[in-house]
Amino acid sequence: MTVRQVLADCGATDTLAVQISGPSGICLAEAEFDRKIAFEDLPTAGAFMIFDETRDMFEVARNFAHFFAHESCGFCTPCRVGTTLVRNIMDKIAKNHGSPYDINELFKLHRLMQGASHCGLGNSACNPMFDTLNKFRPAYERRLMSLNYEPAFDLDAALSQARQMTGRDDAAAHFDEHPENEAEA
Amino acid sequence: MNATTTFHLDGEEIPFTPGQTIIQAAKAAGAYIPHLCWHPDFQANGSCKLCTVKVNGRFGSSCTMEAQAGMVVENRTAELDDKRRTLLQMFFVEGNHFCPSCEKSGDCALQATAYELKMMSPHFDMFYPDRAVDASHPDILLDFNRCIMCSLCVSASRDVDGKNVFYMGGRGILGRRVHINSESGMLGDTDFAATDRAASICPVGVILKKRKGFAVPIGERTYDLAPISAPDKETTP
Ligand code: SF4
Ligand code: SF4
Ligand code: FES
Repeated sequence: MTVRQVLADCGATDTLAVQISGPSGICLAEAEFDRKIAFEDLPTAGAFMIFDETRDMFEVARNFAHFFAHESCGFCTPCRVGTTLVRNIMDKIAKNHGSPYDINELFKLHRLMQGASHCGLGNSACNPMFDTLNKFRPAYERRLMSLNYEPAFDLDAALSQARQMTGRDDAAAHFDEHPENEAEA
Repeated sequence: MNATTTFHLDGEEIPFTPGQTIIQAAKAAGAYIPHLCWHPDFQANGSCKLCTVKVNGRFGSSCTMEAQAGMVVENRTAELDDKRRTLLQMFFVEGNHFCPSCEKSGDCALQATAYELKMMSPHFDMFYPDRAVDASHPDILLDFNRCIMCSLCVSASRDVDGKNVFYMGGRGILGRRVHINSESGMLGDTDFAATDRAASICPVGVILKKRKGFAVPIGERTYDLAPISAPDKETTP
């Protein structure tokens, strides 16, 4: 039984993605809909989530990140802290404060949590990010502040208190966030 | 050396007796595998994950995995030490560690391991959790801001002191913490004593003796004298 057959049987149209076996399972894009539901190809515990083209796969993954941060039991370090770090990075990207640096951080945390976590929850907690980053990368990239380097915090926002104290709000009291000749350093 | 009773650790042949874990055998042979929640006197807890090694190409915790003849174990590789550095950074950002003002500085396994693995910064944004201090006991102060959830106090109080003063409870990043077994939840309302094994087991600066500040000056403390990787060193005596 292929994924495409299941979609046809249940009358799904304009399908963007299918999440097999829940958040820790696998996320499929259209090109993979001919894969088979089977132990050797797409093993599933029964969950089959369908997302149509109106859905934003970044928000789906962010929702899963919150789910894992909430569900982590906290026994082992990589999962206890890692799921929260992943959630924070996804929230940062959602606020349009992310950069390619944050994407690399997600991959790094995925590699650590997958190998070092005590149980399956931590081992698979980054799967939704990993799959959607590989298959729906534009959903992430259009939220990034810049495709070049950006520092981890917003310098201009950090100065807001100083501006308030000095009663200034003129151009010279602001950092230009996106100068044309932005350095890549 | 008999091939059935040794395994390879970073190319070195390590003898073991059946039932020994990888870290036990390595320790006996004088080889250092970074660790925080394991202590030779106690049953493994397996929570910090610093002792993660690669066994025949697969990740595993060396404090809980039994040694098997002929297994090939990677330990101090760039890949594994890189993961360990990230784990250490996780500890530093999830708690509140201000080493310069910490009585444990120089005797602290977390700090010493961070030096050993050349961790240069916490890297991630700090969580700055709000954790209460318990000063209710006449002789002991508990500063949970530095807790790494290793469970060693739980084991020591239960298995050596026979008191069960501590237990791990709650879940998740905010909930999981050491609890005190008394109705008030305060250490002062237990029969905990400064002479208990649990009073000296904490590898970081949580369980501290009152009125004992700076008895050994900075510069002459445990890990000032030799790094934590030195063969005779342990996370706590
Ligand atoms: S417990 Fe260790 S790492 Fe934490 S502040 Fe004290 S010395 Fe530093
Ligand atoms: S109080 Fe100390 S010994 Fe107990 S779990 Fe925390 S770090 Fe470990
Ligand atoms: S020493 Fe093995 S998990 Fe902590």
